[in-house]
Amino acid sequence: MLTRSTPSHRLLLRLLVAAQVLYVLGVAGAGYATTAYGQHIALATEPVDLHGLQYESFVRLRYAAAKAPLAAWRGASPPQPHQAVYVLLATGPDSLATVAGVYAQELKPAAGQAVLRGWVDDVFPRTLSLRYNLERYYVPGDSPLRLGKTGPPLRVQVSIAPWGQARIEGVRLLKR
Amino acid sequence: MSYKFLETESPAWVAEGLITEAQRARLLARYPPEAVQAVGLLPLLGSILVGLSALSVVAANWERLPTPLRLGLLLGSLVAAYAGGEYFLRRGNRRVGHGLIGLGLVQFGVGIILTSRLYQLVGYDVSGLLAWVVVGVLLSYLYTSQTLVLLPIIIGAAVQTYCTQALGLFSYATLGLVALGSGYRWWRRPDTLVASVLAVGLLWQAALWVVLSHSKITWFFIPAMLVYAAGDWHRDRPAARALQGPPLVAAYLFALGLALFGETDQYAGLLRPPVLAYLGALAAAFGLSVAGKRQRGRLASLPDWLLLLPGFYLPGGLPLAVATLVVLYAHAGSVLARAHRSGEAEQLTLGTVLFVIATMVAYFKLTWAFLDKSLFFLIGGVLLLSLSWYLRRRNAQRLAAGVATTVGAAPATPSASPENGPAR
Repeated sequence: MLTRSTPSHRLLLRLLVAAQVLYVLGVAGAGYATTAYGQHIALATEPVDLHGLQYESFVRLRYAAAKAPLAAWRGASPPQPHQAVYVLLATGPDSLATVAGVYAQELKPAAGQAVLRGWVDDVFPRTLSLRYNLERYYVPGDSPLRLGKTGPPLRVQVSIAPWGQARIEGVRLLKR
Repeated sequence: MSYKFLETESPAWVAEGLITEAQRARLLARYPPEAVQAVGLLPLLGSILVGLSALSVVAANWERLPTPLRLGLLLGSLVAAYAGGEYFLRRGNRRVGHGLIGLGLVQFGVGIILTSRLYQLVGYDVSGLLAWVVVGVLLSYLYTSQTLVLLPIIIGAAVQTYCTQALGLFSYATLGLVALGSGYRWWRRPDTLVASVLAVGLLWQAALWVVLSHSKITWFFIPAMLVYAAGDWHRDRPAARALQGPPLVAAYLFALGLALFGETDQYAGLLRPPVLAYLGALAAAFGLSVAGKRQRGRLASLPDWLLLLPGFYLPGGLPLAVATLVVLYAHAGSVLARAHRSGEAEQLTLGTVLFVIATMVAYFKLTWAFLDKSLFFLIGGVLLLSLSWYLRRRNAQRLAAGVATTVGAAPATPSASPENGPAR
């Protein structure tokens, strides 16, 4: 075990610090690349509660795609809470994505489809409740959501990287 | 003894003829007042305030800063903390140096979290935060600092908590890194505080695993007793006992709970894992522990395992409660017997407290239903009073005898004094 500030010790620390800097840059790079090279889809949410913005910097989004009929389940065994799943979404040109199936195994989407990873939150007699870990949206300071008082339904622009990671790109008010 | 004490008391010593005035002056000169130290704190306090002001400016404007600047701030403060730590270490100021390096490690975690939030990036596994634990464990090997050994244990527990709560999965890699990485670091340089924190951290992760996997809570005691058995193999006795404290406390609380609530078969039913698998795993941990105790000559602490007797396989109801009480009494008795043999006052107190707890549980458990209430309290009070009188007399006798033998014979053998039982 090294105890003194020897040259090899200093070299080890420098390598370790460099690795940490590269790692944080790598996380940032993954975020950037997800937008640049990812597949872009739009998800609709139910009306969001804006009251929390007074105390926190994020709002909780409840996606329409977070509820799927149990009939959409495609798996060998019944779904379990906490199970990781792959949600097949049907996307049209500039239209909101809808759940086409919930799979236990990874799958390749066809044209006009996208796969978003998620978890089973709860299993009800007829429906599945899903979680995508996209539920927290950190609202930027200049967002119109900061001005509004009523909770509107939102259209959330999500990009999915080729390696499966997803991020929220932007949020707009959903106009019907 | 403080300077102030010396200053106020010493005139009386001169008056009583204990020391002369000249000697008093020399004593006062030998211990100068500590005003210098307080002045030395001022620059530190000042820099903390300046740092806080910078921090609040950044935090208030964080959302408005352009992305590259935010990344630059995160990485800049990280590198600055490490560079500052290394600078102070080279100048010989170990405490500030290690503190700054620990701050750098914390900055790394903050950097990971804030960067993924910056991009609203979703993590599907723990890999993002696992790097934090890896770096923490590596740093703890680079320096001889208690803080830097404690940090990865705490970070590991926090990461595991986040992982099980937010992602709904258990990170075996985090558990392995803390158990093997920080564990080996402790093994090489034993320390009582690190031992206790390490044990608590590992038990916390084991508890998270039990909750997440919806296992019977009794499975918790397999990893807990493996931690205990690891203590049996360690050469450093105080550090080993510190590692064994948390598992023993957990086992004792569990046994106490069984004695209090074991009557309802519903509760006992929640505790029964498959017999063969559980008993096999427990026997394996027991074997490891016994082998370690034999190797290190500590077989006297074997009755600790009484708390792990799987009484919950008995049918729930009065037999189970009574059996658990017998076990609690046997355990308290073993602690008392060990304390009497080694003549340690602390152990005696502990054994007495355990004995009184067992008695109170037994009394409340077994007689509440049968006795008239006033009679119940009367008999209970008399019972406890006579018990306290008896134990105090016995302890005084034993301690007196212990002191006599210690003074008469050679120095007492410290090896025959297991340091501690559950109530640490």
